[in-house]
Amino acid sequence: MALDELTREFLIESQEGLDRMERCLTELEERPEDAGLIGDIFRSVHTIKGTTGFLGFKRLEKLAHAGENLLGLLREGKLTADRPITTGLLELMDGLRSILKSIEVEASEGDGEDTVLIGRLEELQIPVHAHAIAGRSKGLNRALPEVEHVHISEPLPAEAALPSAAVQVVVPASNPSQGKPAGDGDGEVAKARVQTAGTAAESTLRVDVTLLNRMMNLVGELVLTRNQVLQATAKDPSLTLLTRRLDMVTADLRESVMKARMQPVSNIFSKMPRIVRDLSQMLGRKVRLQMEGQETELDKSLLEAIKDPLTHAVRNSLDHGIEPPDVRLAAGKDPEGTLRLRAVQEGSHVVIEVSDDGAGIAVEKVRQKAVERGLITAEKAAHLVERELLQLVFLPGFSTAAAVTNVSGRGVGMDVVKTNVEKIGGKVEIDSHPGKGTTLRLRIPLTLAIIPALIVHSVEQSFALPQGALSELVHVPPEQAATAIEWMEGAPLYRLRGKLLPLVFLDRLLMPESVHKGSTEKDNFIAVLNADGRQFGLVVDGLADPEEIVVKPLSTVLKNIGLYSGATVLGNADLALILDPGSIALKAGVTMSSDEKTGRGADAEIESEAAKNPEYLLVEVAGRQAAVPLADVLRIEQVQISRIEYIGYRPVLNFEGQLLPVEDTGGVLAAAQGDLETPGSSATQIIVVVCREGNRQVGIAVSHVLDVAAGGELFEAGTRTRAGGVTLLKNRVTGVVDLSGVPPLPVEESANGEWGQLTNEIVEAAR
Amino acid sequence: MSNANVGLNRKEKAPATLIEMCSVRLGSTLFGVPITHILEIVGGARPQPVPLAPQFVGGLVHYRGDVLTTVSLRHLLQLPPRDGPQDILVLESTGGCFGLLVDSVGEVLTVSSVDYEPNPSILDERRRALFVGAYKLKDSLLVMLDPERLDPVRLDPVLLDQTRTGRLQHPAIQAA
Repeated sequence: MALDELTREFLIESQEGLDRMERCLTELEERPEDAGLIGDIFRSVHTIKGTTGFLGFKRLEKLAHAGENLLGLLREGKLTADRPITTGLLELMDGLRSILKSIEVEASEGDGEDTVLIGRLEELQIPVHAHAIAGRSKGLNRALPEVEHVHISEPLPAEAALPSAAVQVVVPASNPSQGKPAGDGDGEVAKARVQTAGTAAESTLRVDVTLLNRMMNLVGELVLTRNQVLQATAKDPSLTLLTRRLDMVTADLRESVMKARMQPVSNIFSKMPRIVRDLSQMLGRKVRLQMEGQETELDKSLLEAIKDPLTHAVRNSLDHGIEPPDVRLAAGKDPEGTLRLRAVQEGSHVVIEVSDDGAGIAVEKVRQKAVERGLITAEKAAHLVERELLQLVFLPGFSTAAAVTNVSGRGVGMDVVKTNVEKIGGKVEIDSHPGKGTTLRLRIPLTLAIIPALIVHSVEQSFALPQGALSELVHVPPEQAATAIEWMEGAPLYRLRGKLLPLVFLDRLLMPESVHKGSTEKDNFIAVLNADGRQFGLVVDGLADPEEIVVKPLSTVLKNIGLYSGATVLGNADLALILDPGSIALKAGVTMSSDEKTGRGADAEIESEAAKNPEYLLVEVAGRQAAVPLADVLRIEQVQISRIEYIGYRPVLNFEGQLLPVEDTGGVLAAAQGDLETPGSSATQIIVVVCREGNRQVGIAVSHVLDVAAGGELFEAGTRTRAGGVTLLKNRVTGVVDLSGVPPLPVEESANGEWGQLTNEIVEAAR
Repeated sequence: MSNANVGLNRKEKAPATLIEMCSVRLGSTLFGVPITHILEIVGGARPQPVPLAPQFVGGLVHYRGDVLTTVSLRHLLQLPPRDGPQDILVLESTGGCFGLLVDSVGEVLTVSSVDYEPNPSILDERRRALFVGAYKLKDSLLVMLDPERLDPVRLDPVLLDQTRTGRLQHPAIQAA
């Protein structure tokens, strides 16, 4: 039997009501006196009961009625919501859920018996103080709830007759009977809440998720078309206004549709108090749950996808993390453990943290277990450092639990968390301090469908490289390749700020059977990638602009190759495969070596040094070295010398319709142009470092870009006066280019706005 | 002899069903795909190659907002690849949509089910797996292709890529 419209609506509404009830119940445990909460719960149950009457679900009605009686007493303040009552109400909720489920699946209520539950709910209606005298005059006390039962159920049919108005009626009507001094105030708060709920219902609309998915696809199409239109019309100034408008509207539309798919993480966080409550009772733990950032929003499909991993993580924290109260006391900790769930948006990601103040992960135990279970060899295990040992918990089949419990310990936990999160393009990080606790960090992308990517060229094709994994780009021209790319018995390496970076040549990886040009015969671009803690350089033949790409799924055959995470259509209507940095690292055999740990340490040192001393871009200008403050560098452009034009004697670059003054104090331009006139010269390109200076942009013509390094302070001998205009770079005194010294152009110049934004993004990405 | 059989069949199984086939010529053979399985014919496409893909994959094309995997009929039949644009039959199978790369698409022919014969036993194994049988036309044969059998999900890369021994093709290694 198919469900009719009315029943289906009832099911959806009831589920929502029960969800609300669940939230309120867990809050009620902390604030048992909160009349607003009890009112909310009462309304949820009451609405279900009222509607079942119409639809003829007798079993549901009976159960809801029993619950309503108990809640009525609570609402009138005749009972306080102590632990047994909350447990009873949770059971009531479960009972209602299971009947609703059965209606949904089988279109009938099922033939289960609820007498036990109803009996319990009736028992709970006996006030606590009555329990004490129950032994003396049982009959009298038994009669008491009977009386109240009549008393409370009297006004109910009237309310039930007006189901649509029920919500408005219930709260004010309950006011006089509360009899507390604070009752009036409470009632007003509740009334206000009811009113906001009413307006929210009027201004919101239920939308089918498939429709939203379709909208998202169409918007993706529009983004593609926009990119193509923008590229096709770039040279036609008459269309600039129109295309800019199209650009803006598309961006707005995309954002709105994406927003429509967003849901607050409270949707899954709200399930956790119940899980924590049940598990801590089962495991004999005392746990306080703290939740933060519930309003953080995430795409609905992603929210669904992290529900299971998050539940797993919470179970793990309770079972393996937080110790039993006696152990905690012995360790000098608060017997009540704390489990913290925190959601926060960081750029284009949402980070969800599950942290506990439990025992932490004993790395030695991890090492031992991993060897015992044959996950790694003993020799290998002996070489692993702490950070890598922690990663072992993500291996399939890993568990340190001494015994398999009902909750966890079967070794299928953390690897599931990791694979599920990685499936949606997220990352899992773990951080643990023995005796202090463990923090699990799930890093989830805001949306799946559209990602920023850098377009690179290799094997005469375009590929998209997700910018999330990209940390920097290095250009190695053919003449430098012989020295810059070092080979260690067949393993290509690059010295990145003194540290060896393993290189993967994309062309050799993709076409192992064909012969490729050596690195000294072509330009090499090294994209420094970070994939799952592995850092490596991917060598490609060329770079194009960054683009926001719409991810299109690949067929299974191509997905199975394991290098591509999808495909996309570029602005020029070409197709590009999206490279998956993690799989590339895996295929190329880049693993986390123990060197990396020390390398990382060095990196961190450099970083902290950089915080003290500003970083500079070291450039060569006509044979001399000069430094440009890295913070001011927007992007580095390689341009054809013929594109440099002159206003009077001032060289300028017409860049995407904007005029950029080019500073050429070093005479790079003049030299290059001189070369150009010499027959047979190949120097047709120069490098322009585009910098931010105040709110304008200036270009600096340079011969080569050498490196990035932290500058050191220099003091004049015998004084503590800091020398201006120079810095100590790689132990050499280097002049700093004075950007403010570049005179403005004799035109009304406004090299900011969108272009500035664009270049900012690029540099962000390149870092 | 076969004519006599057909005559006999015709009397027994009346009426014969008519099937519309889109004809495709490749080399000297005429192939046919039932038009009910064809979503669209895209002319003059240049598929984007996919490095490391099984060789029967002809590349990717942009089709109505999606990225479509194509199968090269030439490669399936072990014919040398051809330069220049090719036509694509966008086919629908239970596994989803995919493109079949062919040299050029011809006219739609109407064939009768009575003219159908299954694959002959002397046909090589590879072709027996790909073809459904043939329809006898007046002066030639129309080899019938079934989109279900050509679906890249079902094509066995190990069987079809015997010429290549690249380790990336083997599913067992991929899984490891």
